[in-house]
Amino acid sequence: MGREMSQATETSSALDRGILSGLVGAARSRPWREALIVAAAYYLGAKIGFAFTFEPHPISILWLPNSMLLAALLLTPVSSWWMLVAAALPAHLAAELQSGVPPAMVLGWFASNSAEALIGAVCIRRFCPGPLRFDSFRDVGVVLLFGAFLAPLLSSFLDAALVRVIGWGEGEYWQLVRLRYLSNVLAALIVVPFVMTWATGGVAAIRGASARRATEAVVLFLCLLTVGFAIFDRHHASPSAFHALLNAPLPFLLWAAVRLGPRGASTAILALVMLATWGATHGDGPFVSSSPEENARSVQFFLIAMSVPVLLLAAALEERRKDAIAQRRAEMEAKEHRAQLAHLTRVALLGQLSGALAHELNQPLTAILSNAQAALHFLAAGRVDPAELREILKDIVAEDQRAGEVIHRLRALFKRGETQHQLLDANALVRESLALAHGDLVARNVAVAAELSANLLPMKGDPVQMKQVLLNLLVNACETMSGGATGVREVTIRTQLLTDGSVQISVADLGPGIPPDAASRLFEPFFTTKTQGLGLGLSISRSIVTAHGGRLWGANNAGRGATFYVALPGYRAGPA
Amino acid sequence: MSGAAGTVFVVDDDAGVRKALTRLLRASGHEVRAYASPREFLGAHDPAEPGCLVLDVALPQQSGLDFQIELAASGSERPVVFISGQGDIPTSVRAMKAGAVDFLTKPFDEGELLAAVQAAMDRDARAREVRAERRRVGDRLAKLTSREREVLEHVVAGRLNKHIASSLGTVEKTVKVHRGRIMRKMGATSLVELVRMADLGGVQPAPAQPHAP
Repeated sequence: MGREMSQATETSSALDRGILSGLVGAARSRPWREALIVAAAYYLGAKIGFAFTFEPHPISILWLPNSMLLAALLLTPVSSWWMLVAAALPAHLAAELQSGVPPAMVLGWFASNSAEALIGAVCIRRFCPGPLRFDSFRDVGVVLLFGAFLAPLLSSFLDAALVRVIGWGEGEYWQLVRLRYLSNVLAALIVVPFVMTWATGGVAAIRGASARRATEAVVLFLCLLTVGFAIFDRHHASPSAFHALLNAPLPFLLWAAVRLGPRGASTAILALVMLATWGATHGDGPFVSSSPEENARSVQFFLIAMSVPVLLLAAALEERRKDAIAQRRAEMEAKEHRAQLAHLTRVALLGQLSGALAHELNQPLTAILSNAQAALHFLAAGRVDPAELREILKDIVAEDQRAGEVIHRLRALFKRGETQHQLLDANALVRESLALAHGDLVARNVAVAAELSANLLPMKGDPVQMKQVLLNLLVNACETMSGGATGVREVTIRTQLLTDGSVQISVADLGPGIPPDAASRLFEPFFTTKTQGLGLGLSISRSIVTAHGGRLWGANNAGRGATFYVALPGYRAGPA
Repeated sequence: MSGAAGTVFVVDDDAGVRKALTRLLRASGHEVRAYASPREFLGAHDPAEPGCLVLDVALPQQSGLDFQIELAASGSERPVVFISGQGDIPTSVRAMKAGAVDFLTKPFDEGELLAAVQAAMDRDARAREVRAERRRVGDRLAKLTSREREVLEHVVAGRLNKHIASSLGTVEKTVKVHRGRIMRKMGATSLVELVRMADLGGVQPAPAQPHAP
């Protein structure tokens, strides 16, 4: 099959071929590898289970193989399930026959064990068709409900019935059901999350862990083990200490859930369960006050009651953390998109101004050329007045600097970088924007009146983006006035401090004003009243101002024209 | 140096350009007066003073083109050389159609500017000569009697004395006497010169009349 596929993809690129054959190779080799792993794990789990079996009952208090099989099924595609179940059979036979179980019982148990794993796997796959996520509260809930509670329950009826029919061991039917159920619930709770969280990205998580996180994990597990040993590896004469001791591991489980996520929580639970079970079966720990069966039940209830909320808590926290990260990423992306759009509209705006910008450069160039040629005239005529020559040279230098500033201002606006927030002076912004728009204003024969208040607060924002907003408003104001009859063409740009502490910049024109039908759609993207224009200027300007925590709006004047207002919160350093 | 008698009036809102142009034109021997706006220029303007206008197109409030039209409408015949920071074709065509001497795009070489200014000065000087001549002729024409004026109109129409006499109901001899007086009063030495003067003075040739029955 791999051969066919590589032939079929001969025409595709080497890279594609590499990926495809890699996938095919993985699909071909993995079921065998997994079958082997399942067989080994099943065997090991069964041996552990037998070690945790209380005589005279035939049922272990910690029967791990079923849950291992379930975890393996959940990790593999449905098509290779048969292979895993088949691989578990020899491991089952080997482990059980060694322990002296009659062959009929061995086969019966294999039936109930694999039935449990299959019921759990089918149900979980039904409700979570995609890859299982232990950072999802819902997925963990589904795994616990079907894998840890329903599947053991259903299979336990079958199991107990088989035990009764074959007549192996002692015990009432319902007692057997209860024993096996609890044992398998506990096993599923510790095995399935542990195996699945480590099998999916566990190695990468260890490799990628920071030194601090690794240290934290090591410290946590040392603490947990210490507490565990202290509780379960000691003879407790008085049951009065029981309740206090019972809660001792909880802080560490919570620590694991909160700080180390589902993987850390499931590992902590596994460690605790192994310790508690080991303590119980060795007659130690707080649960040794009554019969072995009572012991077992106490241990199981205690561990189940502790594991379920810890696993769900870990999932819920992880989910929320990932949501927060996703939200932050979405916000970052939105910000990035806004910055890109702002840059694009800025470039478009500058393109619109390019004719006027040529004018802005031609003025100093004209002055430089004429000054230099005048100086040459003086030299040629032999009338060299050093004072006049110095004046001319000074003017040339000043005009050259002026041309340089035009270029510099332009380059600053073309630049596309991180949005940077700094303290801005509204008046300086206005002056810079007027300098940028000067060519356009003059080319359209528009006069400017600037009424700048000396009593302002600084604003926080990105200077380039705010200049873009003002430039856009200025260009709009010019354009509305250049269309109609020649009246007074004047733009008034004002800065003032509002009573609420915000800084307002307004741009007023003497054009025809905002048409009534356009007023409501003015800030919509791609809406324009101009014959040429993208209709993005005001829309992106408003989004820039809003992102700065401010407002942008427009209104018709009482007399002629319209005014657009930008208001940004003023920034007060220290106590106001 | 051209040394033309006349002043170059520079109108540009850009102080740097204004200063540099003033300097260059002065260095080339021109009398220069510079203004930041058309209003400022008009405030100090004496149409009788010879000279030309170097006018920026892009001005706040009023474009140079609009000002050119306003100036012409006010009766001033001051020749205009336009200078512009962005020379687009429609603007320059409009300027030239409205009678501009030249349309220079900044930054321009001094050669271009000086040639344009010279051409404008020459046009101004010529126009002034023509106006002076016309005034002179007008003064002389005013000295003619109405009968002499009538005879002149017929002469300009190219009629023979005989036909003029017949049209005016007089004799050929009288017409001859009138012609002599006209030549003297107008200071003309030849018929050709008289016709040119009459043309300059706006004398309309008498309409062709049918001969008296």
